[in-house]
Amino acid sequence: MTRHLAGALILASLLGASLVAAPKDSLITDAPDITLTAISGKTMRIADLKGQVVLLDFWASWCIPCRKSFPEVDALHRELQPKGLAVIAVNVDEQQKNAYTFLEKYPHTMTIAFDPKGAVAAAFKLEAMPSTMIVDRSGHIRFTHQGYTEKTIGQFRSEVLQLLAENQ
Amino acid sequence: MATSALLLAAAGYNWAQNQLDVSFHAFQDSRGVTVLSPDANFTKDFTDRTSVKLKFGVDAISAASDSCARCHSDGATNGRFVGSANITRKYGDTKVTGGAEFSRELFYQATTVLASVSRDLNNANTTVAGGFAFSLNQPQLHPGPTVESQQSYDAYGSVTQSWTKRTVTQVGYEINQVNGYQTNPFLRTTLNGVMTVGNSPDARTRHALSARLRQALPAETFFEADYRRYHDTWSVDSNAFSLGLSHHFGPRIVGGGSWRHYAQSGAYFYQPEYTGSPTYFTGDFRLFPFDSNSVTGRFEITPKAGLLMMPAGSTLALQYERYRATTGFEAGIFTGGVRIPLK
Amino acid sequence: MSMKVRALAGVLVLGILTTACATVKPWQRGMLADSCMVFDADSATAYMTHWQEAREGSMGGFGVQGGGCGCK
Repeated sequence: MTRHLAGALILASLLGASLVAAPKDSLITDAPDITLTAISGKTMRIADLKGQVVLLDFWASWCIPCRKSFPEVDALHRELQPKGLAVIAVNVDEQQKNAYTFLEKYPHTMTIAFDPKGAVAAAFKLEAMPSTMIVDRSGHIRFTHQGYTEKTIGQFRSEVLQLLAENQ
Repeated sequence: MATSALLLAAAGYNWAQNQLDVSFHAFQDSRGVTVLSPDANFTKDFTDRTSVKLKFGVDAISAASDSCARCHSDGATNGRFVGSANITRKYGDTKVTGGAEFSRELFYQATTVLASVSRDLNNANTTVAGGFAFSLNQPQLHPGPTVESQQSYDAYGSVTQSWTKRTVTQVGYEINQVNGYQTNPFLRTTLNGVMTVGNSPDARTRHALSARLRQALPAETFFEADYRRYHDTWSVDSNAFSLGLSHHFGPRIVGGGSWRHYAQSGAYFYQPEYTGSPTYFTGDFRLFPFDSNSVTGRFEITPKAGLLMMPAGSTLALQYERYRATTGFEAGIFTGGVRIPLK
Repeated sequence: MSMKVRALAGVLVLGILTTACATVKPWQRGMLADSCMVFDADSATAYMTHWQEAREGSMGGFGVQGGGCGCK
């Protein structure tokens, strides 16, 4: 009797706990007008990139799925940059030396930006790591991805091609 | 007893971390028992939502204890094989794991099936997990051919909470019901002056409650504290408390140490020796009252260019533990292992 | 209600209550992802648990999973 009660309590907790999770904020649709600092030290505003399709990929040295996503996103950048795609890989490591250690292992051509205080991540209201936002030519966030699996890069590619074809 | 270690091994702490972990453990104690145990753990994602973990291990046990030496004056050897497989499937923030383990050695066989669920809440700041395992354990009453059986039902629940960027805690509770033959057929006690195999009750309910803390300190140093309170219906009560520190010596080396103190009371039917006609009596050292202290040191290195023939990112881990109990029992355990990341 | 059921209920109620705590943001989990901060990260720990349970009269009680990078 006690065993059954214990088992029922475990199950009820797992199911019921999800119902009392904190409510989510509604997703924003306009890309926030925020300034990013690139690895070169140059600053750029998201608003200045209007007219291009922008893929913002939030990554960190401690994020294990990022070890797969980072080179795949860079390959996408090399393929579609001539067609109007701008990729900014935003690093959220609090200590930049950890980001540099990661970058030594993963050669790249896309723009790297640093966000050690998490201001950009907070402005975009990230809900998971890694996160990717795809912004259209008018500055609207059209696609948001949380996490990364083998199928994700294919989704990025088809979504970017869709947005590149718009307003041409 | 094996089920809680199995539930522990079934869980992977990082989704998407494909790796092969090969370890070698060497155990030697003051009773003259030596155990050499290589084991391999293989974790791989097979789809974007499914991960498989396989484990294979072998123990080569050699014993020169009193019980074996009665008939085997030159000591005795035994080999234990253990294999387990677990599959984890991800449904959003929920992970469901199912698995099984089989182990076999001379005079003992154990078969376990398990299922567990965990769910991340509150942006992965809270993880609620629960699981259940059933084991069928079959000791053979060596030197006779009789095989007894024992059924173990085990359930656990735990909550892990990240409180700050540097503080995480976990509380857990486990209940285990064991029915069937539970006497150790190899360990003897003195009954009316004669060395006799014991007789333990056929039912035992075991409870364990734990609390753990991991705290990141300044200067790449980390503090850990674990506590477990245990109680069972044989009146064995125990407290286990451990403290540890570890430190990153640069980006590639981690070193650390810990100290553990354990104190348990004896089973209600424990006596140093017995007279008359007791219903229950035991020579099983696990049911004696004792305290113990152990200290552990560990060292891990992840060379930049990889290890020998292994890819970059491979880690060599070395650990040594020294254990001493007030019963006079002492043991030293060495572990050396390699973790190889897989694509 | 027996003591053991109260203990279990207490652990689980604590779990439900803590879900309402807004704590660490997903991009702030770098320190929590460190191997020194993760519970039961390696096979050496599993082996230590295995041989301790074969030598001592107690078992288990420790939970699994949780913490870490929280990545998806």
